[in-house]
Amino acid sequence: MDLLFDPRIWQLTVMTAAPLLLAALGELLGERAGVLNVAIEGIMAFGASVGFLVAFAAHSDLGGILAAGLVGALMAVMLGYAAIRLQVSQLTAGLALFVLGVGLASLLYRLAIGVRLALPRVPTLSVWSIPGLSGLPVLGQPVFAQNALVYLAFLLVAAWWMLLQRTPLGLRIRAVGENPRAADAAGINVFAIRWGCTIVAGCLMGIAGAYYPLVLTGAYSDGMIGGRGWIALMLVIFGRWLPPLTLAGAVLFAYVEVLQFKVALFLKVLPPQFLLMAPYLLAILVLVGVYRGARAPAALMRPYDREERG
Amino acid sequence: MRRRWWNAAVRWVLALVLLFVIGASAGAPGQAAGGKFAMILPGTIQDADYNTVGYLAMKDVGLKYGLTTSYSENVAVADAERVAREYAGGGATIVAFHGGQFLTIAQKLAPLYPQVTFIIEASGRVPGLPANVWVIGRKYYQGFYALGALAALSTKTNKIGYIAGIRLPDFIASLNAVHQAIRDLNATATLLYAFTGDQNDAVKARQTAESQITSGVDQIVVSVNLGVYGIFEAAKAASHPVLVTSYYTDKDASAPKNFSASLLLNFSRPYADIVGRILKGERSGYVEMRPGNGMELSPIRNTPPAAVQKVRAIFHEIVTGSKQIPEITDHIVP
Repeated sequence: MDLLFDPRIWQLTVMTAAPLLLAALGELLGERAGVLNVAIEGIMAFGASVGFLVAFAAHSDLGGILAAGLVGALMAVMLGYAAIRLQVSQLTAGLALFVLGVGLASLLYRLAIGVRLALPRVPTLSVWSIPGLSGLPVLGQPVFAQNALVYLAFLLVAAWWMLLQRTPLGLRIRAVGENPRAADAAGINVFAIRWGCTIVAGCLMGIAGAYYPLVLTGAYSDGMIGGRGWIALMLVIFGRWLPPLTLAGAVLFAYVEVLQFKVALFLKVLPPQFLLMAPYLLAILVLVGVYRGARAPAALMRPYDREERG
Repeated sequence: MRRRWWNAAVRWVLALVLLFVIGASAGAPGQAAGGKFAMILPGTIQDADYNTVGYLAMKDVGLKYGLTTSYSENVAVADAERVAREYAGGGATIVAFHGGQFLTIAQKLAPLYPQVTFIIEASGRVPGLPANVWVIGRKYYQGFYALGALAALSTKTNKIGYIAGIRLPDFIASLNAVHQAIRDLNATATLLYAFTGDQNDAVKARQTAESQITSGVDQIVVSVNLGVYGIFEAAKAASHPVLVTSYYTDKDASAPKNFSASLLLNFSRPYADIVGRILKGERSGYVEMRPGNGMELSPIRNTPPAAVQKVRAIFHEIVTGSKQIPEITDHIVP
């Protein structure tokens, strides 16, 4: 029982969930507008590389985060150009960008750093304890003693919920993702909405990538995203395209991921390979259950052409 | 019309950038066309760790013997055979596999390319190898005994952690050696160990270290590569003092307050020895990398002088052979 309620485990869970959440919220926004971005892993990798390099060169974590957001947005512009402007397959364009992002991340780091016997490092983001709240029992340390990007991720959950469910802009975004022709007929600029959502999504994915070197490790390494971009993509489906459920999915996945190492310390009868597989097994099981009845935005992956006959 | 031209131009530029990036990031086996000494590495040469020291060894050897060198990094086991065939068929006279996971590939390819001499790394002697294969036997466990001794003599909580990535025989032997050192020098201490499944995933390594630290561990002996940077962050964030040991390179600069020592590995030494003998006509053999031969202990930091002295004495005994440590590679001793 101590294992389940260990505050340090929950603190690490929230810390691990934050980048998944940032990337998933970006993906969610894009998908609600009808644009699927499967380049998350590549954009995160590129964001990690650029974010680290800028933070290292400028001695500024904030600079690194902003730069990562910027390159994420630039990658999204490339996706938008292919998917919205040229109307090519979103899946194909996204996969190409995924490969491009992973390759660019490695290449850029190679060119900037070269081969060294001491890996360059940056100071990781410091913890901001919120006075009064961080002392609360149970939730205090896990939620209110975290770094700035964790707070940003949590605030975005509320902001995205409000935006999508309670504002005219959110209604337009959803309309574009469900029926762009009808939205267009109602005077909504479908292309502007899709471009905007795609770029904001890319920006968040870039920042999510930078989270790994700037918060968790203090150093960059190739492959450090380790498939978590794909997990973020899965979380959007898990969350049924709703921010609060996406948050729940991110926390659940991160908790299982963190807990496996604690369990591995004490349960030597379980093969470590099984424990390492556990988060992904859970993801599959949950997806099978959750996906039933879940409905993706109707116009997801469908390019919109004003001239095309309906 | 103008717009169509613009679209076509953008597509071509994107395609060219993609090709360039894929080519650059995947390494370049083709560089071996005129080369003599090729090395296949499992990770990035920028890891400031195992792959960097392998790459530097290759460069040193090339310079020393006037050989042309080429390499492929980030080579997965599934790709290693293809890459090695390209080197062997492309004129390389020596192909080195820098990684214990490539053993079976070398065994398979050596008879097919009798003009090429292969170098592999393993945890010790490998029986029944073809006549054109050299082996570097890495006796990490002997060095890890000293790191285990350091942890056993320095712990204040009597809880010591060991973190490895892949369950290779080298790391199982190292874990058993650490355990042996703890039993020999501080029988009241307990060892918590874990395999993260990845030598380079710093996030998983950090999560593992956090789990150990919250269980009271204050000394962590590390067998992961890039993963160590996640462990440093966990040590820095800990509520009690935590010291970490590493290997391959000295990582004091990464966490001066949380670093105690490193087992330094100099691969230039065995590779120079082997390549020199290959050039003299010896097509196969065995060179052991162990304390005193390509394996040294870095300066020991953040540790009481008495413990430092004791650990240095133990390491010296291992170097001279007066201290024998059992090598157990097939199971973890409870």
